Amino acid sequence: MSDHTYSPAQGQSVLWMRLLLWALLILFAIWFLLPAYVVVGTSLKDLEEIRGGSLLALPHELNFSAWKHAWNEACIGVRCTGLEPYFWNSVFMALPAVFISTLLGALTGYALTKFQFRGANMIFALILFGCFVPFQVVILPMAQTLGRLGITNTVYGLILVHSVYGLAFTTLFFRNYYVTIPDELVRAATIDGAGFFTIFRRIILPLSPPIIVVSVIWQFTQIWNDFLFGASFTTGGAQPITVAMNNLVNTTTGVKQYNVDMAAALITAAPTLFVYIVAGRYFVRGLTAGSVKG
Amino acid sequence: MASLTIKNAVKRYGNVEVLKGVDIDLEDGEFLVLLGASGCGKSTLLNMIAGLESVTEGEIMIGDRVINDVHPKDRDIAMVFQSYALYPNMSVGKNISFGLEMRGVPKKERDQAVQEVAKMLQMDHLLDRKPSQLSGGQRQRVAMGRALVRRPEVFLFDEPLSNLDAKLRLEMRTEIKRLHKRLNATMVYVTHDQIEALTLADRIAILKDGEVQQLGTPAEIYDRPVNMFVAGLVGSPPMNFIEATVVRTDSGYAAEVMVRAAGADQTVLLDLDAQAADVSDRVGRKIIVGLRPEAITQAGQKAGGDAQSFPSDIDVTEATGADTLCVLHWNGKEVMARVSSGYAQIIEGTMDFAVDMSRASLFDPETEKRLD
Repeated sequence: MSDHTYSPAQGQSVLWMRLLLWALLILFAIWFLLPAYVVVGTSLKDLEEIRGGSLLALPHELNFSAWKHAWNEACIGVRCTGLEPYFWNSVFMALPAVFISTLLGALTGYALTKFQFRGANMIFALILFGCFVPFQVVILPMAQTLGRLGITNTVYGLILVHSVYGLAFTTLFFRNYYVTIPDELVRAATIDGAGFFTIFRRIILPLSPPIIVVSVIWQFTQIWNDFLFGASFTTGGAQPITVAMNNLVNTTTGVKQYNVDMAAALITAAPTLFVYIVAGRYFVRGLTAGSVKG
Repeated sequence: MASLTIKNAVKRYGNVEVLKGVDIDLEDGEFLVLLGASGCGKSTLLNMIAGLESVTEGEIMIGDRVINDVHPKDRDIAMVFQSYALYPNMSVGKNISFGLEMRGVPKKERDQAVQEVAKMLQMDHLLDRKPSQLSGGQRQRVAMGRALVRRPEVFLFDEPLSNLDAKLRLEMRTEIKRLHKRLNATMVYVTHDQIEALTLADRIAILKDGEVQQLGTPAEIYDRPVNMFVAGLVGSPPMNFIEATVVRTDSGYAAEVMVRAAGADQTVLLDLDAQAADVSDRVGRKIIVGLRPEAITQAGQKAGGDAQSFPSDIDVTEATGADTLCVLHWNGKEVMARVSSGYAQIIEGTMDFAVDMSRASLFDPETEKRLD
């Protein structure tokens, strides 16, 4: 710190700069929050109010009927079940897929760093390559694979697809994290008599929570928000919520129900928002977590 | 307790030969220090004994059991690592008992063993803490405790003190020595610190480029180094190497050296009669005279029969407390002499030095090997 003091004139200009800065920040905050406000606001209005009032006007009352409608009454195609069954489809798809890809990524990352074998780096490079393969490339071969396995148009099929596709990313996360854990820990545990899986379970996994959080958030967001695989490999009742929401918005009978569309969008986005709010700070912590100090 | 035998151990990574046939025999209860600069293969050898690296050729035996292909956990060894390698997620107590748990020792016995070790290392009060809550010295103790608790046949130490500050290092060094005395266990200790090696070892093996240069007691290594590498590695400040010409004298042979005294180079004949080496065929040729700083000291102090004295100019003095190091100029090169501190404080300039040639080592200038 310098002990430079401002003259009154300088103090004035500093204050003005501050005010300008705050004004700009507030302006941009409004700018970016406006769409979210419109979505939330519209979802709480009824159609009458939407038609009659301004887009930016506050709703007269908190009217959750659009939410209720989107959740279990709205028609998706010809089935008027609302988003509820598709929401659970997504849950039953995302949770196992996140769990499997994270666990396999951890195991692979552990094997690649702590049990260095000939060609380990080569294999890692190949796995890394998977991060750059676009979704579209794997759609056809994946469709064939699912067909042979007989799990097309099922949640299990999507679990498999997302687990396999996510492995490249989770392996990258865990491998780069485990590189910072000293090898001597594994050597010490080996001499102590622990085997591959015991070391993983008793020594490595307990050191992993920061990177597990990263992997879980990343995978959950990816899998929950996925549209392409869901739209490609499922139809009708087995679809995940993202596809269902799209269909809901596109299924119009008579009047366009903007409030229901907005509510459906918010319901679809809610779980990822929830994950970020709950685990967000661990996410940053995990990404910046460096070496493990003994 | 058991002996440790290393027979012609070779380690290769592809075409790179890291260890080139090492032979070491350790008796039961002996303390061996592997000393060498980094990259000399000492840690590789230790890891081979531990079973963390495979043995390319040769045999490693504990007792009369060949352990080349025995899993580390079945070798009956324990190892202390440089970074301590404490499990960060476990308490100190768990850290110590982990090895026992893996071997299926019942909880009751485990707890008892941990208590015993904790008492021995005076860390009973630390058992519930996590490693991150300990100081460096305490972590070091835990690492030792983890090795001790299993009562292995052979203890392996991989530069265990190099992460400690100077004062703690001295304390732990003494502690290790005390433990060795108490347990009377076979220990192998890797270090690059020659003072650690000299103080701890029963025997020292000096490695360079994957080969054992010399294997012997600290006294042998210090007083009779087999070559100039060993002579230069051990001892601080290191041995002076003085290039000298062999000449005949009335009584036998001497090494001719130019000593700067009173501002001019004077010829001094260092008597070689006390040397076992036969230099008769080297008259008129160069040899290297190796003199430790303490073999060159103030005249009159060590007026033994062997000492000869002559004046020499003092260039610089460095006080170390008990002794003062004087830099002299012989043959145009710097030579260190060790003088009792009282002397050099008074005398700057020219002083009479006594050289104890019975403690000198002679080396061949080409092969750099000791002449005996």
